[in-house]
Amino acid sequence: MVDQLPNLGREREMLEAMGMSSMEDLFANIPQEICRLDPLPLPPPQSEEEIWADAQRLLGTNVTLDDRPSFLSAGLARNFVPSMVGMLATRGEFLTSYTPYQPEVSQGMLQAMWEFQTMISELVGLPVANVSMYDASTAAAEAITCAVRVNNKKAEQRDVVYVSQFVPPHRLSVIRNYTHGAGIELRVLEHGWDGHIDLESAASAAGCCAVYVEQPSSFGILDAGLTELKAIVGGQTALIVGVDVVSLGIVEPPGNWGADIVVGEGQPFGIGPTGGGPIYGVFACSERYLRQMPGRIVGQSWDTDGKLAFTLTLSTREQHIRRHKATSNICSNETLIALMGAIHMALLGPEGLERLALRVAASTEATKLALTAIDGIELADPEARNFREFALLLPGQAADALKHLDEAGVLGGFDLGLWWDGMSKCLLVGTDERTSQDDIDALANGLASWVGEVQP
Amino acid sequence: MSDLFSFNGAEGAGWSQPEPILEEGVARSTVPRALVRDRLPGWPRASEPELVRHYTWLSNRNFGIDTGFYPLGSCTMKHNPRLNERIVQLPGIDRIHPLQPDHQIQGLLTIFYEMQEMLATCAGMDAVTLQPVAGAQGEFAAIRCIQEFHRANGEGHRDKVIVPDSAHGTNPASASMCGYDVIEIPSADDGRLDLDALRAAVGQDTAAMMITNPSTLGLFEIEISEATRIVHDSGGQMYYDGANFNAIIGKTDPGRMGFDAVHYNLHKTFSQPHGGGGPGSGPIGVKDHLARFLPSPIASRRARADDDPEGVGDGYWYYWRDVGESSIGKVQQWHGNAGAVVRAWAFYRRYGRDLERMSEHAVLNSNYLRHVIMNPDPKTAKAIHAMPAEGAPADLVMHEFTLSLSPLKELNGVTGRDVAKRLLDYGYMAPTLYFPQIVPECLMVEPTETESKEVLDRFAADFHAILSEDPETVTTAPHTTTVKRVDEVWAARNLVLRHPGHSPDSD
Repeated sequence: MVDQLPNLGREREMLEAMGMSSMEDLFANIPQEICRLDPLPLPPPQSEEEIWADAQRLLGTNVTLDDRPSFLSAGLARNFVPSMVGMLATRGEFLTSYTPYQPEVSQGMLQAMWEFQTMISELVGLPVANVSMYDASTAAAEAITCAVRVNNKKAEQRDVVYVSQFVPPHRLSVIRNYTHGAGIELRVLEHGWDGHIDLESAASAAGCCAVYVEQPSSFGILDAGLTELKAIVGGQTALIVGVDVVSLGIVEPPGNWGADIVVGEGQPFGIGPTGGGPIYGVFACSERYLRQMPGRIVGQSWDTDGKLAFTLTLSTREQHIRRHKATSNICSNETLIALMGAIHMALLGPEGLERLALRVAASTEATKLALTAIDGIELADPEARNFREFALLLPGQAADALKHLDEAGVLGGFDLGLWWDGMSKCLLVGTDERTSQDDIDALANGLASWVGEVQP
Repeated sequence: MSDLFSFNGAEGAGWSQPEPILEEGVARSTVPRALVRDRLPGWPRASEPELVRHYTWLSNRNFGIDTGFYPLGSCTMKHNPRLNERIVQLPGIDRIHPLQPDHQIQGLLTIFYEMQEMLATCAGMDAVTLQPVAGAQGEFAAIRCIQEFHRANGEGHRDKVIVPDSAHGTNPASASMCGYDVIEIPSADDGRLDLDALRAAVGQDTAAMMITNPSTLGLFEIEISEATRIVHDSGGQMYYDGANFNAIIGKTDPGRMGFDAVHYNLHKTFSQPHGGGGPGSGPIGVKDHLARFLPSPIASRRARADDDPEGVGDGYWYYWRDVGESSIGKVQQWHGNAGAVVRAWAFYRRYGRDLERMSEHAVLNSNYLRHVIMNPDPKTAKAIHAMPAEGAPADLVMHEFTLSLSPLKELNGVTGRDVAKRLLDYGYMAPTLYFPQIVPECLMVEPTETESKEVLDRFAADFHAILSEDPETVTTAPHTTTVKRVDEVWAARNLVLRHPGHSPDSD
């Protein structure tokens, strides 16, 4: 028996009030030829207890990132989320509300999102942030379409956008889908042999609508050369930078070196990797791009008594008003996860953020040192400075190494051959604030024993 | 007022963390000199006790389903069972990386597979992907599949998508993002689809029609089968916007109506909490001819072989299957909102084959509430200044209905917005306002199946009371909320979009 329907057993009373006699009367408008006559071929309803038991049993068969030393990052963080974050964000008044279309009874979420906008703005060094995108990839994709709308008319290279050669393929795929309908041509911004952006070839991007790069790159490389990019591409070209939000505790925010739009994966603040979602995309920009920005924005205002109040604003960009001329089709976004992010950021504070970034940086460096001490293993980019991740060049297939490590109880990273042809000997090792010396020893021992097998 | 940026930054502020595993100076030196951050962000310096109070204070200034009746049409604001929130705290979903190998995530893949199958069954579709993370993203992904389908058939010249004028704004926006021209066709006088207008709109250039059934007026499109024939005869594809799927599960399905593609809103029909605007989940289902264009990957299974690692014990081996070369690729970077899928799975398990009862009660509640509102007893009726008109005249509605407050506005100037704001004073969330745009002074009401008869009766009585009130009281509402009517024009003109005390430029 279903336990979620307060009017179960009272159908007749309600039907009679309307002069009806059966539940079927309610569906009399569905033409006979399209009616389903048989019951749904699904199992019977379950009680809360039974569902909980099944959920525990099924999800309990998964190997989690906390079960073993784990070096799999590739765009998500094995973070630690403070206890109060989930507890406060899932208070029913937040959890079960919808988009604050009625500001008079939604001041709580509106203010929380306005504070979120402020913290993101401070983090990335740009004046305006929205209330979240679906993830880092849709944030990057919609940043590109936004930039083209703003810059295309005066661009020397119309409809052209340059994208870093090493944007991960799943993100590039999202970008292709989102830019396809707008007729945008994506060209490759090349990286040099050392993994850094090739600034000489970047000159060819001058005068295009937008350039999209990531700092750190997919290989975790912090590229100081990116600070010269804005001067190379020019004021009429949007410099869009994808960031690791945690890195900005110690790394200069792109807004301070010329970025016009900053996007990124917000997940490290607020929520676990959750199988890839729900997470949230960060989106911030300069004033120039504000009116073409996707997503919701909260503004401050006043009520009729002159009391400070918040409300959604610039809604005329959005689909429910502008329909096919909207700047984006986004409707449901990731507000609740952004709220978790806001609480996490507020609890960290500036010094806590710096500490968090330093912990990740220390883990990265310590892991790098331990692994490069193994004979036969080299860094793919030996000169590079890295944050969170780095690529190793192995003496055999990365897939084999990962299998060996899995048998040794270590989640060893990501096989870059799955992303790029010719990189099947490259292993992407990801670290985080929770990486311990014991984890590093387990990975190093596992890799050393594998090298011993493939390289006797 | 509690101001996040005013906390004083006492020594105990912030949150204690372990030391970095290398000396701080070494960690700092990993950043290239030109990239060193020299000024930390202007974030608050607050302690946990202060922040718990701040966010509790904020939550007290917010209205959710837990607070009261939330009849927001089109959004299906039903109760969110708390078990589902408990389940997603399990490490088997919270601490899972989407790139983990299949043998480490058999349980999650099993849930994905079960959900794909269930959604396909309920909608009469052949294949489902759970990747899109919102209804609008589902629309976008499905229209992209249809676009590639036409191209593969040498019909890439089809460049028009037809939508009724009552469609959700996301429909035209999604079609437009795919590069299509949007043709809006007017509804017939009874609010339903106008087949003559449709016949006039279709042609060699028709790529697809996007439509929701029941419509945003809450009406079942009786002539839907003929509509799909007209579009198919022109060579176009039929797309079903699943926003109103809560009305029909077990009674009919988009497959029977002739649709080729559909999106589901797991945050509406399957109760993923709306969270102040998101997250959502917008899986799509398609018929066989569109399956090879779906986003990759999709959860699949085969009989478990002897040398397979241990699975979940049901005799199958689950794996991510790549859709192949013809796939449109990805719309979200991973596999969708897995956490929302798990919640929806727990919700579905609660109903099983009785999902049909869910739809029955949603439609029962909607018709009942409409009936009680439209038929006040004589004493009440006498006090009412002007009764609302039905948004669309009909004997029956489905899960939602529309009311036009035009008669009241004509009589004494009280608008739909005024009545909506006054409802806030009575402790209700306002219905959806001024949508669909074809109904003047429209309130769109969707009670959902999780409201009791008592709540519906009380809402109707309070609604009647508002219609009887002195106009001045209504036009100046709300009076009892945390803030009074907010000046949205000031907000748009002045654009104060962040805390003024902190600016990235003020060192």
